[in-house]
Amino acid sequence: MSVAIVGIGRTEYTRRSGRTPRAMAVEASRAAIADAGLTPGDVDGMVTFHVNDSCQPTEVAWGLGVDQLSWANAVLGGGNLVADQIATAAAVIEAGLCRAVIVYRSLNGRSGHRLGTMEGPIEVAGEWQFDAPASWLVPPQWFAMWARRHQHVYGSTCEDLGQIAVQQRAHAVPNEHAMMRTPMTMEDYLAGRWINEPFRVYDCTAEVDGAVAILVAGEDIAVTCRQSPVWLLGSANSQGGSGWSAWDDPTAMYARTAGPQLWNRTGLRPGDMDLACMYDCFTYTVMATMEGFGLCEPGQVGPFFAEGRATYGGDVVINPHGGLLSEGYIHGLNHHFEAALQLRGQAGTRQVQDANLALVTAGGGPYGGANIYSREHP
Amino acid sequence: MTTTSDPGAVTRAPVPVPDADSAGFWESTRDGVLSIDRCTQCRRWQHPPLEACRHCGQPTRFEPVSGRGEVFSFIVVRQPTVPGHEPPYVVGLVELAEQSGIRLTGVVRAPVDAVHIGMPVEVRLMPVGGGEFRGPEFVPVSR
Repeated sequence: MSVAIVGIGRTEYTRRSGRTPRAMAVEASRAAIADAGLTPGDVDGMVTFHVNDSCQPTEVAWGLGVDQLSWANAVLGGGNLVADQIATAAAVIEAGLCRAVIVYRSLNGRSGHRLGTMEGPIEVAGEWQFDAPASWLVPPQWFAMWARRHQHVYGSTCEDLGQIAVQQRAHAVPNEHAMMRTPMTMEDYLAGRWINEPFRVYDCTAEVDGAVAILVAGEDIAVTCRQSPVWLLGSANSQGGSGWSAWDDPTAMYARTAGPQLWNRTGLRPGDMDLACMYDCFTYTVMATMEGFGLCEPGQVGPFFAEGRATYGGDVVINPHGGLLSEGYIHGLNHHFEAALQLRGQAGTRQVQDANLALVTAGGGPYGGANIYSREHP
Repeated sequence: MTTTSDPGAVTRAPVPVPDADSAGFWESTRDGVLSIDRCTQCRRWQHPPLEACRHCGQPTRFEPVSGRGEVFSFIVVRQPTVPGHEPPYVVGLVELAEQSGIRLTGVVRAPVDAVHIGMPVEVRLMPVGGGEFRGPEFVPVSR
């Protein structure tokens, strides 16, 4: 059986929601169900990922008036799990364990706990204990460390990172749902304050409060829904074991293995993609994973953006919504929302013409995966 | 030229919580010796530590290392997002001389503009958390 995204929903993205993650997850889920033309009773599975900042699937189901689920799974982890969760939901449906599954992510990423900061006194157990004395404990530090290595090996520059930030901002300007819509030039980018060199503030994601829900169902349901199905063509994951210090080559991320695997599984090539929602917790994540997925040669991502190849009229439109950098950080699930919107031809002024195939990546560093979606039935 | 903050600031850094695999590392650093987990059979080093070798599954033990290495990569922290040190300061990812891929993070006590990838450094074990632990920092050395 084929599996498709049949409904998408989201809340508004704000800096201070004043709401619980549960309430936002319920709203986004109701929106996804209504979008599909289904009812809450049609949903028999709910899954999410979180970092102890969200709510349980069973709580959300209760808020939808659903008293029991066949599958309720909450996985501790980050954006590296997003593509995997949708692909796993598809597998669960194909295995006959569920008929319609909602994948959601809901967080107060700005007004609640901010992933890039820690407040003391702090005790650090587990794999990160060795990084406690250096206070090297948050993603803007890890990714900056890796980006520096890329600059050393390939001669990539801060301006190359800036090209990514500037292009994505340009994409966000007409996006009414985006948090960061003020046009930005390279001069603006370079004038941004340093966070951790080589990262400036515009290399880092825009934290927001909000929720996204993606409703996935098998072909039997998909063909009855209100919207055109967005078919899942294939998925690949590479979840590395060596962490942020011991990973052998920080110039390459998980994509170096997930990329070739994804193309082999689908029989497609990078050049077939009409758009790509590249996970962009930081600009450097886009750079390294575009290389890993074969969208661009190593060290050439800066020029790729500068020459207009990453936007309308170019090779592939990268993050037409502005990405996590400019639309907002719903931990990567908003990338899948955007891909579905584009493949349905409903993206309005930012519609990618004749969008048929979309690559959506998830995660960074050692951990991640990606899905390919299609407008056409596989 | 800007220099990093005084070493005393390290005592405000987050405190490690040792476990059965890592206790030997922290006991050794507290005694002023940097030791790394090493397989008793195949003799490969591994970090982070584990009671058994990740390659051959045989028992490991902590053995002293030279404390010498090279800066594999580094960042300059300009905005404090984790307590512990006064910006600006350099955090280095240092590859130890003993084996390719064995890396430790530590503040590099050097002018921020002087640090570069490939720079030879040596470890210093500085108090953390009011002195019950010592953690690695690095200083430049001549090759």
